[in-house]
Amino acid sequence: MPLTRRKLLGAGAAMAGLAALGGWSLWTGTAGESPLLLSARNDDDGQHYAVGYYLNGKRAFATPVPERCHAVARHPFLPVALYVGRRPARESYLIDLRDGRLLQTLHSQPDRHFYGHAVFHARGEWLYTTENDTREPGRGVLGRYQLDRAALQLVHDGEATTHGVGPHELAWMPDGESLVIGNGGIRTEGGSREEMNLGAMAPSLVIMSRHGELISKETLADAQSSIRHLDVAADGTVITGQQYHGPAYNSVPLLAIKRPGEAYQPFPVSRTQLAMMDQYTASIAIHSEQRQVAMTAPRGNRFFIWDLDSGDTLLDAPMSDCAGVGAVPGGFAVTSGQGKCRYYDSRTAEVQSQWLELPGGWWDNHLWLS
Amino acid sequence: MRALIVLVSVSLSVLLTACSNPRQEVTVQLANDVLLPAHQQWRDSNAALVDAVEAYCTAPQASVGDLETAFYQAQSRWSHLQPLMVGPLSEGNRSWQVQFWPDKRNMVVRQTESLLDETDSLTGEQLEKASVVVQGLTAFEYVLFDQSVALAEKHDRYCPLLTGIARHQLALSESVLALWNEPGGMLAQLRDFPNERYATADEGLAAILRTQITGVDVLKKKLGTPMGRLNQGVAQPYQAEAWRSRQSIENLQASLQGAQAVWERVRSLVSDAALVKDIDQAYADVANQLAALPAPLMELVQAPQHSETLTTLYAALDNLENRQQTELARNLNIQIGFNANDGD
Repeated sequence: MPLTRRKLLGAGAAMAGLAALGGWSLWTGTAGESPLLLSARNDDDGQHYAVGYYLNGKRAFATPVPERCHAVARHPFLPVALYVGRRPARESYLIDLRDGRLLQTLHSQPDRHFYGHAVFHARGEWLYTTENDTREPGRGVLGRYQLDRAALQLVHDGEATTHGVGPHELAWMPDGESLVIGNGGIRTEGGSREEMNLGAMAPSLVIMSRHGELISKETLADAQSSIRHLDVAADGTVITGQQYHGPAYNSVPLLAIKRPGEAYQPFPVSRTQLAMMDQYTASIAIHSEQRQVAMTAPRGNRFFIWDLDSGDTLLDAPMSDCAGVGAVPGGFAVTSGQGKCRYYDSRTAEVQSQWLELPGGWWDNHLWLS
Repeated sequence: MRALIVLVSVSLSVLLTACSNPRQEVTVQLANDVLLPAHQQWRDSNAALVDAVEAYCTAPQASVGDLETAFYQAQSRWSHLQPLMVGPLSEGNRSWQVQFWPDKRNMVVRQTESLLDETDSLTGEQLEKASVVVQGLTAFEYVLFDQSVALAEKHDRYCPLLTGIARHQLALSESVLALWNEPGGMLAQLRDFPNERYATADEGLAAILRTQITGVDVLKKKLGTPMGRLNQGVAQPYQAEAWRSRQSIENLQASLQGAQAVWERVRSLVSDAALVKDIDQAYADVANQLAALPAPLMELVQAPQHSETLTTLYAALDNLENRQQTELARNLNIQIGFNANDGD
């Protein structure tokens, strides 16, 4: 889940005493004034990297990694992050954010592969990932890993069910103890990205304790809408983005919302906007301070910002292969798989766009800003 | 709603060199001389289709020949445009309104007949609210060419639909053209950089090339699907695009010419003379083979003696696609796709 720098500074300061590498003071010493963007990226030759760039364009590191990664889980206070292998990866990479050093190649357990997303618990000891049980393809698994702070190594500790099929992104609810998980509903076999059950998908939005207990499980009307990406506002409002696997010309909701205490339901988006998304949403980011939600639609080459409460459109703009999006002070930073990255200042009704001095293209679906 | 673009990345030096930037020049030329005219010709062919439908449907004894000619032309202009439809026509599900292909479940027939059964005399408003399946050229082709329809004897049933489709196509093409020509519209976005859509002329050029390369890939699908390449080699003649009007090959030729119009402009940017020669040859190979096909595609795919000919043509299209997708893209340092094609 992308965090604003302000939020992360707060968490980091609170946890500084636990830091094994010198903690927050060491981290801020390397961070400078510009937010640090963490993402998976490729180069022109197809080599995969775990990268960190400051939003002012300065490169922090670009570490070659064997497998293409998807999302990044930043540790709450140590200068480390896990770059999570893209499904059906069996490797993820723990990176030292000070210099890009590869601290550990985290291998998935036997009969498991990663789905591309993970989160660290706020106290910094535990990491949770979404995984596939390849003996029972599609059975969602919440992998649990303990961080050995002395050795800076993640050690598999156990797992729980995600109470659904084909889990994808997960994020913390405001209590910091329960997780919201998008179970995409699609079964894939180990080593494959081929969907096996497009006629019998079972997507669901699950809220569960990090220890495994199911708190709620809800579905949308259209079973072919795979619930994949999500973000959580400070008040517990969850927004999800779907990918529709039915006929390309159909018009179905591709965004949904679960407000605290209310049922999970489609977020009000016009048919015109839905048609511009080309049935595919990629990244969701909520700006809690500004009560806004942003979404990338790379197949439609479209980027959107809406008011989280009223659903009013603040921005509906073309952007080639827009990929990761994260909240930053004043608005959102957006990367692209094909073009230049942008910053959108959405503090006023007249949203302003600014090109970022980051390298253009080859940015993967998600980013983490801190 | 548009963002107010703050052109922070434009420096004076960029502005001074923009006019002598060959990539920007080619991008602007493509927009002015290839893409926009293709959209205008598509619009004009739809206007002619409206005229032809109205003439046919208001004179019960009129020959259907003029209407068929207007349909062929509209279908050809649409085919020509497909590798060129960067921007508005490729967005918002608009292209589905032009043509419903592939139609794996014969939905065009079922939905067309169902719609007409439910309405006494179809109005334009009813058609606008109907599915894209019945709004486009594929439904028009069914009515005009399918032997089960007997159009000449059922003007009352089918003319409102034909008129509605033609008018819908004209309105759609005019709205797309307006999105090209409006201030800050697509034409301006391929001419003045940076803008709301593209940071640089390179991004605009890359978008044009991606669309064109996708168009060549669609040609492979239009040939390979009726050949049975997705069906263990069992021919699928009724999955051919435009099988009812027997225009599949003519449409492939029109699309190839559209793709080649982009290549003709891009050629000057390629630094590798051997690659230029190879791509020129690849276009010529496909064009020559298409021109030499002796019968409509739906007949050829059912005749075993033509199997090798079609397989060779498919290989030539594959070669053209690969030359552009890998070698040309590398030479021009253009990214073909990433998250959009291979996301998660």
